[in-house]
Amino acid sequence: MASVSLSKIVKRYGKIEVVHGIDLDIAHNEFVVLVGPSGCGKSTTLRMIAGLEELSSGDIHIGEQRVNDLPPRDRNISMVFQNYALYPHMTVAENLGFSLKIANRPEAEIDKAVAEAAEILSLGELLERRPAELSGGQRQRVAMGRAIVRHPDVFLFDEPLSNLDAKLRAQMRIEIKKLHQRIKTTIVYVTHDQVEAMTLADRIVIMRDGHIEQQGTPLQVFENPANTFVATFIGSPPMNLLPATISGDARHIQLEDGTPLPVPERLQSGVTAGQSVIFGFRADNLMPEGHGLTLGSQTASFDLLINLSEPLGTETVLFGEIAGREIQAKMLNPRPVSMGETLRCQLDMSRAHLFDANTQLSLG
Amino acid sequence: MDINQQHRFRKYGLKLAHFLALFIAMSIICLPGLWVVLNSFRPTVEIMAKPPVWIPEKLSLDHYRAMFGAVGEGGVPVVRYFMNSLVISITSTVIAILIGIAGGYAFARYRFRGKSAIFVGFMVTRAVPGVALSLPLFIVFAKVGIIDTHFGLILAYVAMNVPFSIWLIDGFFRQVPRELAEAAEIDGCTRWQAFWKVEFPVAKAGIASAAIFAFLTSWNEYALASQLTRSVFSKTMPVGLLDFTSEFTINWGGMCALAVLMIIPALILTFIVQKHLISGLTFGGIKG
Amino acid sequence: MTRLFRRLPPWLALLLPAIVILLVVVLVPLLLSLYSSFTPYRLTRPETLYKWIGEYNYVKVATDANFWWAFGRTVFLLTVALNLEMLLGLGLALLVNKVTWGQRGLRTIMMFPMMFSPILVGFQFKFIFNDNVGLVNNALQSLGITDQAIAWLVDGKLAMFAIIFAEVWMSTSVFAILILAGLFAIPRDPLEAAKVDGCTPWQSFRHISLPFLMPFIYIAMAIRSLDVARAYDIVQIMTNGGPARRTELLWTLIGRTGYVDAKMGLANAMGYISIFLAIFFTVYFFRKLNASRAALGYNA
Repeated sequence: MASVSLSKIVKRYGKIEVVHGIDLDIAHNEFVVLVGPSGCGKSTTLRMIAGLEELSSGDIHIGEQRVNDLPPRDRNISMVFQNYALYPHMTVAENLGFSLKIANRPEAEIDKAVAEAAEILSLGELLERRPAELSGGQRQRVAMGRAIVRHPDVFLFDEPLSNLDAKLRAQMRIEIKKLHQRIKTTIVYVTHDQVEAMTLADRIVIMRDGHIEQQGTPLQVFENPANTFVATFIGSPPMNLLPATISGDARHIQLEDGTPLPVPERLQSGVTAGQSVIFGFRADNLMPEGHGLTLGSQTASFDLLINLSEPLGTETVLFGEIAGREIQAKMLNPRPVSMGETLRCQLDMSRAHLFDANTQLSLG
Repeated sequence: MDINQQHRFRKYGLKLAHFLALFIAMSIICLPGLWVVLNSFRPTVEIMAKPPVWIPEKLSLDHYRAMFGAVGEGGVPVVRYFMNSLVISITSTVIAILIGIAGGYAFARYRFRGKSAIFVGFMVTRAVPGVALSLPLFIVFAKVGIIDTHFGLILAYVAMNVPFSIWLIDGFFRQVPRELAEAAEIDGCTRWQAFWKVEFPVAKAGIASAAIFAFLTSWNEYALASQLTRSVFSKTMPVGLLDFTSEFTINWGGMCALAVLMIIPALILTFIVQKHLISGLTFGGIKG
Repeated sequence: MTRLFRRLPPWLALLLPAIVILLVVVLVPLLLSLYSSFTPYRLTRPETLYKWIGEYNYVKVATDANFWWAFGRTVFLLTVALNLEMLLGLGLALLVNKVTWGQRGLRTIMMFPMMFSPILVGFQFKFIFNDNVGLVNNALQSLGITDQAIAWLVDGKLAMFAIIFAEVWMSTSVFAILILAGLFAIPRDPLEAAKVDGCTPWQSFRHISLPFLMPFIYIAMAIRSLDVARAYDIVQIMTNGGPARRTELLWTLIGRTGYVDAKMGLANAMGYISIFLAIFFTVYFFRKLNASRAALGYNA
């Protein structure tokens, strides 16, 4: 049983502050993913939870215990490292049993725990090998096995999949998710890959420059990004953003070339006449006629001149221009598209977004 | 007491203990050297004073003046010894390093049978104690007539420095990615050009530190020099130090001054090479 | 000549200069000394070089109590000194590794003793341990710990202590420097993993750092085994094997027999034994080095 709570935690290296007073409460058994571009402070935050970095100020509680100055060994956590951090001079079995051996547990118990972890992660064949003789995916599994052997209160993952190739990454993602369902422990997971974040998390915490930008379930942050940063960071391809102004009657959005679009109904109360805004929509909501999803109640039409297309099989990503800005659209049930072709496209306005041009915050 | 506070106190305690231990260790390392330097500036009366004079009343350059004077302190031709040391050390270093570059390159870039056996074989020749080697060298050099010459000692020092230079230089070349030379060859260099224009410049700093190490080994060597040199014409400084001793007395002040003269180049060179020296030794050793 | 040179495999051509010089300056003289160890060769009577006396010298050495004492003392000195140097070097490296500010300076200071000429170290400590004007006695007397002049280099046991002190002072830095390099080379991840796995600092050191350091410790041992005979210079100066042979080592005994007593044949026989001792240590530590490297999974 352990929740984790961070209150106003700050990390400074000399004069440079890299984490600016983060507050975060993680419930027992919750799977929380910290995601953000490199240098956003997510790994530092994780390492402060682990006790590998000292806090500059603020408090961390694990369960009821304030752990600020406790060394990692007194926090009952375990961690999977980006480079696996296996002990090269020990066999897989020794790696798995190391934490128990250190704690002076009886040998029989260690053997049982190792066997159990090996079973969960199908490492049985490899127990006598050294890390140097394992493939990347196998090392990854040993690192996870080492973490589960201890039955910790909290699991910490520091970009555990970033050194694997794409196919293996997808596979390990599923294994991690299954693992969480099976062992039911609080997990804090750090990644820079928004796909990992979306697929794994109960709750996503998006960070930038040492601040939390937004937190919520994967669908919440996808559908209601709090600002332009989250809008472009979550989802692939990133949301299209076009500068615009609100017309005098506050009914229309005027793009830079004067093209008028209706203000989405759900946003009408949030805008004022003449306001500078950023108009955002996802590629999934701009589709050539006959190649899209069912549209919402409010739509707009464009003739899109295609500069480039990326066929992906089930869909094709189209690159075109609206109001002089490059944007992306998606074509479902694709047919071959040639460069320079013009396609009539429908934009689903009910799923479009508006952000304030000055604050970058969502007007929704 | 709060458990968090306990941990914090222990941390401060450890910091203090660490600082103290470090201070004591560094004192033990530095004091003997400083003692020698200090005494080189003190008049002999003060060195011999009973009870000891702890705070020098006056510092003098007498020992240095005497050392560089016409005859040298107590008739010891220090300048001559200094020049001998310099000529012998520099020449033997240059030759040893050239041989070392060739050998180190061979170990770093080619695979051949018995490689590690040859390597250990080289090292073993270095392990032969100087005294034990000096006996037959003395006989041979006497027969050939190169005893008490610069040439004889240079020859001995080249042999002494070659194995270790090979070890170091091998390490440095292995840190240079093989692809670099391959890229140069594809760009139209011959193997020879690829070596001189690409690999050598990259490993240059390391080779320089191997050279300095070889220089210091020759500069400091005593066991061979004491037997293979006989007169002022070839004696080096380590052997010259003995001139300050006579049957029952030692001229401590003069000896300290000569010691300082020996140490100064060594210290300067050490300061320059320290970083590369370590990386060469460890790289050669670890990545076998 | 050049054509022959070109026909050699390149690695051999490159190694040839090294092989030639080592052959000429080390191997051939050693063969000569091997031969002369079977003769009653005396420097003063050159014709004795051609008289074959078989294993006489070796028998004489093997039955000479002085030789065995010197041999035992040499092994004792090496064992004590190398172990002390290793432990102190490890300690020093750990201390310096913890320093965050001014580490480069400390590292350089740490290296200085290594660059001192052994002969200089000998004189330096002869001076420091001098019973009359030495630093140690002056300090002890000024602090009132003793009013006697302790005869450091005249008493057999104290002289041995002084020699080991000088030897350790000179060579601890070899270990400290290399172990420090080893500490820098330890990847951070396994250490952090160990912390998270519940290790106390001591356990992290014992189970993670130390295995990573072993190859570096063996490199240091190997390097030291190449130049252990430098201790000859120190002993030569500090006590010259005295008092009454109490600090006589293999090397000083060889020097005395060969040059003072001029019994070259006999000295060479002893020399051969000391060479085998050195070779044994060297090969042993190189093997250990390879084994510890393999344990960490490095291998080319």
